[in-house]
Amino acid sequence: MFKYSYDALVYYGEDIATSIDRVSRYGYDAIELVGEPDAFDGAQIRRLAGDAGIGVSSVCSIFTGAERDFTNKSASNRQKALDYTNRVADFAAASGAPIIIVAPSPVGKMAPESDPAQEWDWAVEGIQKAADYAASQNVKLCIEAWNRYETHFLNRIPQCMDLMRDVGRPNVGVMGDTFHMNIDDPDIAGAVRDAGEAMIHIHFADSNRAAPGQGHTDFRPVMQALKDVGYQGHITFELLPAGSDPFATLRRGGGREFYDDYTRQAIEVIKQIEATL
Amino acid sequence: MKFGASTFIWASPFSNQTLDLIDKAKNFGFDIIEICVEDPATIDTAAIRPRLEKAGIAATVCGAFGPDRDLSSDDQAIRENGIAYVERCADIAAELGANIVVGPMYSAVGRTRMAEPAERRAQRRLAADSIRRAADHAGKLGVRLGIEPLNRFETDLINTVDQALVLLDDIGRNNVGLLLDTFHMNIEEKDIPAALRRAEGRIFEFHACSSDRGTPGEDHLPWAEIVKALGETGYEDAVVIEAFTPEIKEIARAVSIWRPLATSQDDLAQNGLNFLKKAFA
Repeated sequence: MFKYSYDALVYYGEDIATSIDRVSRYGYDAIELVGEPDAFDGAQIRRLAGDAGIGVSSVCSIFTGAERDFTNKSASNRQKALDYTNRVADFAAASGAPIIIVAPSPVGKMAPESDPAQEWDWAVEGIQKAADYAASQNVKLCIEAWNRYETHFLNRIPQCMDLMRDVGRPNVGVMGDTFHMNIDDPDIAGAVRDAGEAMIHIHFADSNRAAPGQGHTDFRPVMQALKDVGYQGHITFELLPAGSDPFATLRRGGGREFYDDYTRQAIEVIKQIEATL
Repeated sequence: MKFGASTFIWASPFSNQTLDLIDKAKNFGFDIIEICVEDPATIDTAAIRPRLEKAGIAATVCGAFGPDRDLSSDDQAIRENGIAYVERCADIAAELGANIVVGPMYSAVGRTRMAEPAERRAQRRLAADSIRRAADHAGKLGVRLGIEPLNRFETDLINTVDQALVLLDDIGRNNVGLLLDTFHMNIEEKDIPAALRRAEGRIFEFHACSSDRGTPGEDHLPWAEIVKALGETGYEDAVVIEAFTPEIKEIARAVSIWRPLATSQDDLAQNGLNFLKKAFA
């Protein structure tokens, strides 16, 4: 039996109580929170989720801009990236989430600004420090790759594995996201198998980033691979509207299908596949 | 089918310094070389055509659309520059004995400003008016235009076959059709074979690219179903591998390729061709 979660990222600007209620109503085991610690009260979320009978699977950290860049050329910005990640770990601990997502280089940074080997070393060093702090809060880190149009730094699961090995901390693993993997990992299920128990978190979205069933990704072999490697985490749906900036669509009130319709459809479609494994 | 290789696999920009690619493509077993025109000034048709004829290989022409050649720009001077560029590409095609110019000629690649629907309709009208003019010039030369939908990260105007079919209707010229590229379709189409079937009769060229722009066949695309669907539409023209060399930083950055996608570009071309010949047999 897999556990299921839905990322509140697409419930853009919505009151968290409403999001928790929706996710609970459609049969999810947990919710994934948006990693903006200043915007939320972790203890209150833990209570709301508990009252609704669900857990908090994870926190989707938001790595945007120079001040959330572990590879930034400025030492003070790298420190800010660490401070941010530590605050996300605090937020995770307060809300009851065991895992936070970490990305070493921010979304939209499309070229190194320093020597690539130096940027890699900074990424290793920053994530080591973040991992050590997170460990003190009993929180794990999972390293995420994004597709080639969102970052130059990590595009594929094997690259995340390389970074994870260099970081070398027991509370650091990797995660997959089937939308990104559809573009940059030529064998999605194979990448899951190769990662094995290092894959401690996964995002599901169809090939066009809508709910499973709306695109052409074949989820069955991916789920079989997760089952075979003994995946213990949640299958978390991170769905977003089409576009280079999905939040532009959400800001103007578009993407309403991502609220009730896709929250319902995502778990329905995937549970039907799970039943056939 | 006739199989083609894009010069982008090895070079950018194509010029008299890279004429050897014509022989290389022929030696690999390709029927067509797709000449990519980043800068018309580097394309010496008087030098290229004899090399094509000597090698016994046909050509197609692919355009590159940056912000200074935006056929749907709000700035008329930029639109005019874009139209003049497509017309020049059509001249180049005619001079090379090629009958098609392909590319995302409705906008500038990278223009992804998330336009409002009304703004997008207005932009599509500008694109249609511009492309119609270039098409009429190309038509006099017996050259066709193939319009390429791109994925969401490269344009916000035409991402899918259905959107492209609307644009074709707006253009209203028989010598304008579609170039469909499986790399982009993998991201945007709900069902790639079904999208190919909806484009029946309108497909002027086909780019057979792997889902990660590496070697066709070493990926997760449903090739058997794609080949079947394309066959059902009656398409039997060029099947071109388009990939980009990671060794030339400018082009690699322009298409967001940050790592090698094959052991070598030669391996990509040869293994990709071998796969496609089997898949389409």
